[in-house]
Amino acid sequence: MALIEAQGLTKKFRQAVKEPGLVGSLKHFFTRQYKDKLAVDHIDLSVEAGESVAYLGPNGAGKSTTIKMLTGILVPTSGRLVVDGLVPYEKRQKNAKNIGVVFGQRTTLWWDIPVIESFNLARDMYEIPAKRYKQNLAEFTELLGLDEFMNIPAGKVSLGQRMRADLCMALLHDPKMLYLDEPTIGLDIAVKDSIRKFIRRQVDERGTTVMLTTHDLGDIEDICNRIVIIDNGKIIHDGDLAALKDNYARDRVIHFQLARPPVSMDPICAGLPACDLKSDGLSLSVRFDRFEFAAGEIAAAVMPYVEVIDFRIDEPEVEDLIRKVYLGQLTLDAPDSAAETTELAVATEA
Amino acid sequence: MPHPRKYLAMAKASLEVIFVYRAGWTVNLIGSVFYVVAMFYLWQTIFLSKPGALGTFTWPQMKAYLIVAFILNSTMTWFDEWQMGQDVREGRVAIDLARPVDFQMTRLASAMGPIPFELSSAITIGAIVAIIFGGIAFPSDPAHLALFIVSAALAVLLKFSIIYCVSMTAFWTTGMEGVSNARMAVQNIFSGALIPLVFFPDWLRALASVLPFQGMISTPALTYLGTMDGPTTAFMIGSQAVWAFGLLLFGRLLWRSAVKAVTINGG
Amino acid sequence: MAARLRHARWLVYIYFRCLGQQMKAILAYEADFVILMISAGLVQITGFLFIWTIFQRIPDINGWTFWQVVMMMSLIFITEGVGSLFFEGTWRVSRLVYNGNFDMYLVRPVSPIVQVLAGAVGFNGLGNIVTGGALLAISLSNAQVQWTPGRALMLVILVVSAATIRVAINLGTAASVFWIRTPWSLVPFFVHQLGEFGKYPITIYSLAVQAMVVVVIPFAFVSFFPVAYLFNMEAWSTIGLLTPLVAVYCLFMAVWIFRFGLRRYESTGH
Repeated sequence: MALIEAQGLTKKFRQAVKEPGLVGSLKHFFTRQYKDKLAVDHIDLSVEAGESVAYLGPNGAGKSTTIKMLTGILVPTSGRLVVDGLVPYEKRQKNAKNIGVVFGQRTTLWWDIPVIESFNLARDMYEIPAKRYKQNLAEFTELLGLDEFMNIPAGKVSLGQRMRADLCMALLHDPKMLYLDEPTIGLDIAVKDSIRKFIRRQVDERGTTVMLTTHDLGDIEDICNRIVIIDNGKIIHDGDLAALKDNYARDRVIHFQLARPPVSMDPICAGLPACDLKSDGLSLSVRFDRFEFAAGEIAAAVMPYVEVIDFRIDEPEVEDLIRKVYLGQLTLDAPDSAAETTELAVATEA
Repeated sequence: MPHPRKYLAMAKASLEVIFVYRAGWTVNLIGSVFYVVAMFYLWQTIFLSKPGALGTFTWPQMKAYLIVAFILNSTMTWFDEWQMGQDVREGRVAIDLARPVDFQMTRLASAMGPIPFELSSAITIGAIVAIIFGGIAFPSDPAHLALFIVSAALAVLLKFSIIYCVSMTAFWTTGMEGVSNARMAVQNIFSGALIPLVFFPDWLRALASVLPFQGMISTPALTYLGTMDGPTTAFMIGSQAVWAFGLLLFGRLLWRSAVKAVTINGG
Repeated sequence: MAARLRHARWLVYIYFRCLGQQMKAILAYEADFVILMISAGLVQITGFLFIWTIFQRIPDINGWTFWQVVMMMSLIFITEGVGSLFFEGTWRVSRLVYNGNFDMYLVRPVSPIVQVLAGAVGFNGLGNIVTGGALLAISLSNAQVQWTPGRALMLVILVVSAATIRVAINLGTAASVFWIRTPWSLVPFFVHQLGEFGKYPITIYSLAVQAMVVVVIPFAFVSFFPVAYLFNMEAWSTIGLLTPLVAVYCLFMAVWIFRFGLRRYESTGH
């Protein structure tokens, strides 16, 4: 029995429509016009305990709406939704004990009181046993480096510090589910890294189930096993992250830096797929499918003909992949067909 | 003033904001009507039980006074110290400094933008209240009406300049609510909004006469009623102008020194 | 039943924990609360000045003497202060919902209403309570009230009931944000302004207004009827005894309206 079970989950909104300009404002003052928007369109989602899911989609795709329904904040228009045996929007407070939430752009801490007091209030609100609270607090304080600002009000700490405190706040009560909405937005690279590691550790050590919405693909790479993509309210991909890369992100590029321009390109590129020599004659790039060639093979094919000073290898970029999906340049398999298929449903721009 | 178009655009923008929050703004206005209506009932009871209590005012004049006070209080409600406090707190001051516009003028433009709308709504409601309570007095001749319009315009400008000056405290405090409330409390008494200043005991009346607040309500209202003679009227309106422009200038000075202090401290 | 009682006690505990923390924070970090308290006091002094100036010109208002009207005003002030000091959170709901920060209340295992009530502390309320309390004490000492233990107890109950009615009105109207989205507390402010009518004896108003402040939004039970009871004024005094019942009714209505609004918020998501 999956931890999260959603079937045919749908949410329809009515939005007010306003024309621009002063005339539009006047009109809007006296009569209002509405149009319906299907934010989430009959999606099926099943998440097992201990999974770590990235929930992606362009802006307005329906990500936050889905998360709001899962956390019980929003009531679905139709469909079935069960989280750990509870219907979230019916038993919201009970469901709340099972979940931890981190909104990247907003905080769950109290703004004017010291961070430690927010934690103490959380202990009372979630009725965390004293011993467990002390344990968790000590562990998180150490892992997240909270000591340095524990006694400062949340409104006065830096963004990175606040995010770390929010994470601690979300996990103090040992929730089964952790929902993260843009958790690393606006943070510097060092803090991003430590936060990702921390979240991954919760998944690995405590079996916390994580659902993450983000635009930062570094988050996905470090934290998630599974990737679900939603667009226009429909799930357009749902599968293993590694399989995704294997199937769609197979290209690697190896860049050689040469001592001298090569005499002729023909012998070099003879057995190779795509060769590309830069105008100064000193940079040679080879793009290859990593399942067809090993990096060593490529190097072995090139090196007899040129003197190589240095080289580097570009790994498959999930980022490119996702960007192409968003731009409509790439259509992935529908969620129900397995990811092992070697047939690529690829529609690329010519 | 260079590039008036810029300021016009700002005025228009703040007018649009009201339209978007239509329900809210209407509700706000009607809420302030309760205060006036309560006053009407109170003064009516006073008048009915002891007409002499109104002093030299007739009942229609008293009603007119209250309506004029209401209309004037309802203008430029969009501008208060809170906005300035937000600007300072959220560091918008720095952004504004980088813009090629005059800070005080931009605030004036935004404050004035909603005025046509505020005025028309307030006058409509004022008219309804006046009719319900049996009518009010009107200016005795076109000259007084013209003087009243001048005085009312100065009153609004004065309101802006007072609030602007008070809001400069935003640079030294963290919350503007207390300051704003204090200003409104003092303003309510000394502008004559609560009670015509003539009803005050001598010492209070003397105090009111050296403060700028009377120019916000009392002077225009009395001009409307024509209860002051020629020289007094000229003097009072003159005082309004002196206070209004004087405080505008003072506000600019405060702004300059505050900005200097802030940029030195890197606040 | 025992579980519900225990839960209720726990909610009260949570409320005081939240409120207490915020009070400590304000006292520790914000020096401005002194300005707030002083300005609140100023507002009340001007109100008192107004009444005093009026009573310089007339002996009474419909039979109500100066100190009786002052007492009415003091009850309005005290209850205003209680609302600000202990339940300022009701005034923050609009901004929270507008900025999307209200959801934070919904993902916690605590009643959102308790969180709303504990959401903020307005120290101007302390100024209101102190000045209002002083005015109440002065007017009581200047008036001729036949004091019995019963009457004294009733005074306490009346003040508590009046405060409850005020807070209930704030809470119920705060729920309007679930229907009308604005960054400012508009309907609450609008209704709060009706409180202006509560400052003077309702006998001066037309029937329509009286009906409004007695039946619809019972501000008359915050000041008029309690004072009428204390001074044994005509038929009003027995109605004054109803004040506690009105308070309980208002509280139930407010909670019900807020829950209703919450349900709407959860289905429209706005």
